[in-house]
Amino acid sequence: MRRLPAIVAAVAVFLGGASSAGADVSVTVDRTGVATGLGKRFTVRSIFANPGPGEARGLVAHLNIASLRPGVYVDPEDWSTSRTRYLDPIPAGGSATVRWSLQAVNAGTFAVYVAVLPQDAAGRPPTVGRTVRVTVAERRTLDAGGILPLALGVPAAIGVAAGGLALRRRRLVSPG
Amino acid sequence: MSAERAAPGWWVVLQQELRDVWLGGRGPTLALAFSLILSAVAYLVATNTALNFLEQREAVGLIVQVSVAMGGLLVVIAAADTVSGERDRGTLEALLLAPVPRRQIAAGKLAAALSLWPAAFLVALPYVWFLGRGVGVVGDAVVVGLLVGTLLALELGALGLLLSLFAGSNRVSLALSVFVLLALFAPTQLSAGAQQGWAGDLMLRANPLTAGVHYVGRVLVDGHSFGRDADLLVAPAVAVIALCAVVLAVSGRLALRPGGAR
Repeated sequence: MRRLPAIVAAVAVFLGGASSAGADVSVTVDRTGVATGLGKRFTVRSIFANPGPGEARGLVAHLNIASLRPGVYVDPEDWSTSRTRYLDPIPAGGSATVRWSLQAVNAGTFAVYVAVLPQDAAGRPPTVGRTVRVTVAERRTLDAGGILPLALGVPAAIGVAAGGLALRRRRLVSPG
Repeated sequence: MSAERAAPGWWVVLQQELRDVWLGGRGPTLALAFSLILSAVAYLVATNTALNFLEQREAVGLIVQVSVAMGGLLVVIAAADTVSGERDRGTLEALLLAPVPRRQIAAGKLAAALSLWPAAFLVALPYVWFLGRGVGVVGDAVVVGLLVGTLLALELGALGLLLSLFAGSNRVSLALSVFVLLALFAPTQLSAGAQQGWAGDLMLRANPLTAGVHYVGRVLVDGHSFGRDADLLVAPAVAVIALCAVVLAVSGRLALRPGGAR
């Protein structure tokens, strides 16, 4: 019975080693800059490496986007529909790669970054990779000039034709 | 000795139906409503600052998709009225007494209902030209719109006629046709996330309407070649063949009351 506390402590140490925290995992990204156009799609790959001696499990990777200039509203959900990934266990010395698909829905300069944190992350800071600077150029949008005559003219022309037909029909069926 | 060759029965029915649709006022009224909807969409796309986020290719894609969808609606409305409308107006008996095979009556009526689609497409052309000028997509938009719109018009026309053959009243036929059309379009309203994965992709490709509309987007918005996403046209083509075959098979039993009872 004297050995019981020692066995419990050894098991605890073993289990602790087997499920490394997010702080033990490093995050790298495949690029640090993206130049694209409004509405275009692009991808960022992040690599989660586990240099520790034990398997890293229960990790959550998360992507976020922020504008680097004030006055630009950013809704990250518009940029990427899948911003949170639950990673498979990463073996000791191994790594996992996640491909993030994004669409540039605002023009301006933005920062995209990836963080990883353990599922039992209470009170522990996440590990964050390098920032990817995304520059989104404006695109040529529609020239509204001339739309009003078209928007009114086409229905008016069809309306006149339909009215003429209705008048002709009425004359044909009216007595005399 | 030169006996005049009589026109085929379906052609006679088609001519009569075309007169009813276009000179009777229904066709021009539907075309007017269609042009008003396209005008509203084009005006919003071109002038609203929130929507003006759209790049020109996307605007052209949107107007072609709306044209194809609304053109299908016009055809299904006209087709849903073909037989059940005659029943409700009490004119089906006279039609059935005409010396024309019943399949040819159905074919003539279907062809007349389909005439709304080319008319709708002609109405859409000025909007497509306006939104697509300067970015070189007008030609692609015309070709892809005509291709997908014709497939959808054929399948929706056959569907409307099929429902009209079996519906007890014109009201039921019209309601069912519009309901089916809306149900087929419902998946386009799913979020982008729900359309991802194998299940979402399968649903998109198996539904002839969503597949056709996505094909338009792939060609006009993403700039893909016509052949790259041609597999998206499989479902619309299969639906056309299947529905037209069913209509041909069952229209021989066209009767005063749905189900074949006289």
